[in-house]
Amino acid sequence: MIRDPLGPFRKVGKWTYFLRDIARAISDFRTYGSETIRQMRNIGVDSLPLAAIVAAFIGAVTAFQTRFQLFGGVQLSVVGLISRQSIILELGPLLTGLVLTGRVGARITAEIGTMRVTEQIDALETLAYDPIAYLVVPRLLAALVMLPVLTILANAIGVGTAMGTAVIATDVTSADFTAGLRLAFTPFQIVYSIIKATIFGGAIAFFCSYEGYTANVGAEGVGRSTAQAVVVTSVAILVLDALTALLLAPYLQA
Amino acid sequence: MKTRDEVLVGLVVTAAIVVTVLGSLWLARGGLSKGYPLYAKFPWGAGLKQGQPVLLVGVNVGYVDEVDLHQDGTLVTTLRVQNGYQVPVTSKATVVANGIFGDMAIALTPSKPDPRAFKSGDTIPVGPSSPGIAELTSKADSVMRSVNAITGALEHEMVATGGLHDLRNTIGATNRLVNDFSAIANEQSRQLSATMASLRRATGAIDPAKIDSTLANFQTTSANLAQLSAQVKETSVKLDAVLAKVDSGPGSAAMLINDPGAYNDVRGLLQRMDSLLADIKKNPKRYINVKIF
Repeated sequence: MIRDPLGPFRKVGKWTYFLRDIARAISDFRTYGSETIRQMRNIGVDSLPLAAIVAAFIGAVTAFQTRFQLFGGVQLSVVGLISRQSIILELGPLLTGLVLTGRVGARITAEIGTMRVTEQIDALETLAYDPIAYLVVPRLLAALVMLPVLTILANAIGVGTAMGTAVIATDVTSADFTAGLRLAFTPFQIVYSIIKATIFGGAIAFFCSYEGYTANVGAEGVGRSTAQAVVVTSVAILVLDALTALLLAPYLQA
Repeated sequence: MKTRDEVLVGLVVTAAIVVTVLGSLWLARGGLSKGYPLYAKFPWGAGLKQGQPVLLVGVNVGYVDEVDLHQDGTLVTTLRVQNGYQVPVTSKATVVANGIFGDMAIALTPSKPDPRAFKSGDTIPVGPSSPGIAELTSKADSVMRSVNAITGALEHEMVATGGLHDLRNTIGATNRLVNDFSAIANEQSRQLSATMASLRRATGAIDPAKIDSTLANFQTTSANLAQLSAQVKETSVKLDAVLAKVDSGPGSAAMLINDPGAYNDVRGLLQRMDSLLADIKKNPKRYINVKIF
């Protein structure tokens, strides 16, 4: 038995209202302007080491695995091609998004949720501040800008470690790898990666802010909201990843 | 604190933009050192795309920079050749297969070394293209068809007409035969061993001293035999002489043998004896007078 058969629709409706409130708050630049830089620092710059480590290992593993999946007769430049395509098109944006869901998204939910349960949000409203403009919009903007930035750096690091691993640990030469890297490359592949990262950034900030903003009273409420936020955001990122691939992958071919 | 945030964020964003631009350029064009362009006009359907390697006598000297589709049936291809490499003017550009998955590369092959080189912007003449994967596939197809035909015929022979069964029977029979042979060979070998053993025993049993004495006896016998033979010869000569004497000599034996008169006398005598005997049989009392008392 489903307790509330209309629950999912109610949730989507609430998200839509939340989105409308954000859109309304965008015009209030004075409230979120300076706060956005601070959030960029929190979300973007401070996440750089984590994103870099993840990308480095992903790149190394991709190149290594690819090399040993090839059967005899396949030119080794395929390692470069497959590493580039998997890292730039899929692993770079997706794993950066998922890792940042844990590091950044949980933090957003916990911050906003705590402010909700300690009634600081109510206080902001009393002071005629728009709490969404002050709390949600800067985080959303910061995530929208910084996720692509992190993803680009992660892609570069991933491809770099892939090349390093292939050249050092396997029989692939740097010439082979570079030839594969350049084979059938189109700039749209980078754009595709950036589009994905932007979408993931928006999803992280949006869903995590929402869960925090609607947190229930008490420390338990914040904890539950945070867990819920991570789950919802992770699933949303995977769904959006699939949707982006469906819509844009046909344009990827060189 | 706030200023520091802005600087950090600015640094990271700038880094990302620089990486995006330079990375794309590096991936697409082989770095900022762009090299110089050369052009080649290939027919449609050459399987070319941007990023494929350009090989000068097998050495990677650049990449395909752009493939431009022209309505006159050609693909005007821009080859980006690194600055350090000169392409001799005797070169021809061909599209060659790169690996087994139908990927292509452009090979620049000079017919002979030449100090003069193509200059930036020149168009390289196009040579005949090497067989691509499609031609190879069609060849493989015909090979497959032959193999299929052979397999079909073989299957018909072996399965449908019972060849396989026959073959199996033959193999079974051969196996049995081989087993028989093997048994026979074993038996032969066993008997041969026994023969050898007894031969060895016999050889061991022969006494060389006895053989010596036997040989000595044999020699003596043979010498006696020679002597005997000489005596026989002598006897034979004597007999010859006797016979000659009998034949031609004046003796009575010779007369008996050689004189027809004697023969006739003897014959007449015998006849008279015959008639006398007949007369005695007829009239015994004339000759035999038996008186008792």
